[in-house]
Amino acid sequence: MPERIDRVVIVGTGIAGTTAALTLRAEGYQGGVDLIGAEPHEPYRRPPLSKELLAGRIPPERVRLKPPAAWADQGIALRTGISAVALDRGRRRVRLSDGGELGYDRLLLATGGRPLRIPGAPTLRTLADALALRARLDEGGRLLVVGGGLIGLEAAATARSAGCEVTVWEAGDHVLGRVLPGWLAAHVAAAHLRRGVDLRTGTPVEAVSHTSGGYRVAGESARWNGDHVLAAVGVAPDTALAAEGGLAVDDGIVVDDRLATFDAAVYAAGDAARLPRGRGEHWADAQEQGATAARNMLGQDVAHTAVPWCWSDQYGLKIQICGRLVGTPETSGDPARHDAAISFVHDGALCGAVCFNRPKEFRDLRSEIARSEDGSQTVKA
Amino acid sequence: MEYRVWECMVCGFVYDEAEGWPEEDIPPGTRWEDIPDDWSCPECGAAKADFRMTEISRA
Repeated sequence: MPERIDRVVIVGTGIAGTTAALTLRAEGYQGGVDLIGAEPHEPYRRPPLSKELLAGRIPPERVRLKPPAAWADQGIALRTGISAVALDRGRRRVRLSDGGELGYDRLLLATGGRPLRIPGAPTLRTLADALALRARLDEGGRLLVVGGGLIGLEAAATARSAGCEVTVWEAGDHVLGRVLPGWLAAHVAAAHLRRGVDLRTGTPVEAVSHTSGGYRVAGESARWNGDHVLAAVGVAPDTALAAEGGLAVDDGIVVDDRLATFDAAVYAAGDAARLPRGRGEHWADAQEQGATAARNMLGQDVAHTAVPWCWSDQYGLKIQICGRLVGTPETSGDPARHDAAISFVHDGALCGAVCFNRPKEFRDLRSEIARSEDGSQTVKA
Repeated sequence: MEYRVWECMVCGFVYDEAEGWPEEDIPPGTRWEDIPDDWSCPECGAAKADFRMTEISRA
């Protein structure tokens, strides 16, 4: 007889945790759902934090994931500003920072990531971070963005469009090193250079110090003085609770393709989870992981096979990336003109795609990649 | 008839029929069903089918 599931506790109010909570209800689950988040805010969407919200084009209310009453309406006990500090898997209990305890039949760790820090420099991960940076950018002046990844370049584009003088220092030999090959990243870098951003690669930071009016930053080969600094150098998975509870942790909470840890009552999803194929750090994938974890917690047996994808918007250039960018690229259009679809074919199968300003084509490519990856999994099995 | 609001389930972009989406030549007052099926979310590029009607209040 299947075990009866009456109490589900979800730690983390990011997109993986909230999607899991909503999916439990959508699947007809009637038991208790506790959704615990360390941030003080109601669940919100992170993607606009480096774009529309930072630009001041939308107010903070517009990044809310749901209207405030939606959680109670769904029978989801949402508690914000509270973190889970200890995990006793033997007794199936989580201890909270307010001293309370929650028992569970199934636990989902959707604890997300923490931005890597450069001492002295602010980061951009939370709504509070974004509002603070927005207030600083409103003053205008000079901004140094350390890190030329998606978040760094989005923030740079937003600040430049708002009239700031922007410098980007990237330690690697090209920007967007985690998501694009150099020859495609160069076309994104060009959008920044064309607008007068001082973008330098091969420029790691050594020290950030405060001055009376702003910051002074030293690199191996460069010096910078200005008003505002942003460190956007990546994210580390928040695995503290999992480690405390004795779960396997190795660049993320180790899970199988069902998002289950070795403890059948404990799952992980989102930026904190490391699947057999690796750890993701993108919105849409975290969302899909949350949904898959919820279904598996209810006793379904669903593999997480969704092909990871992400998008970015810099100066109106829409970049969409999907799958694995390996093998032979086939380009239609002109990447230099920011109007192109690039397909990556490996072993005769379409396995990845990048689009510049071609959302419709991207959608078709994404479906085709999903079909061909499904096919390859069937063959392997 | 009241104008309705549609929300992208992927990224949360909101399409308000009252406002349309003039950036892509969809004038204010354009009903959801009158938007082409191959239209994509202007924020993340998700399909029109990935939107749901929502009771989200207009900001």
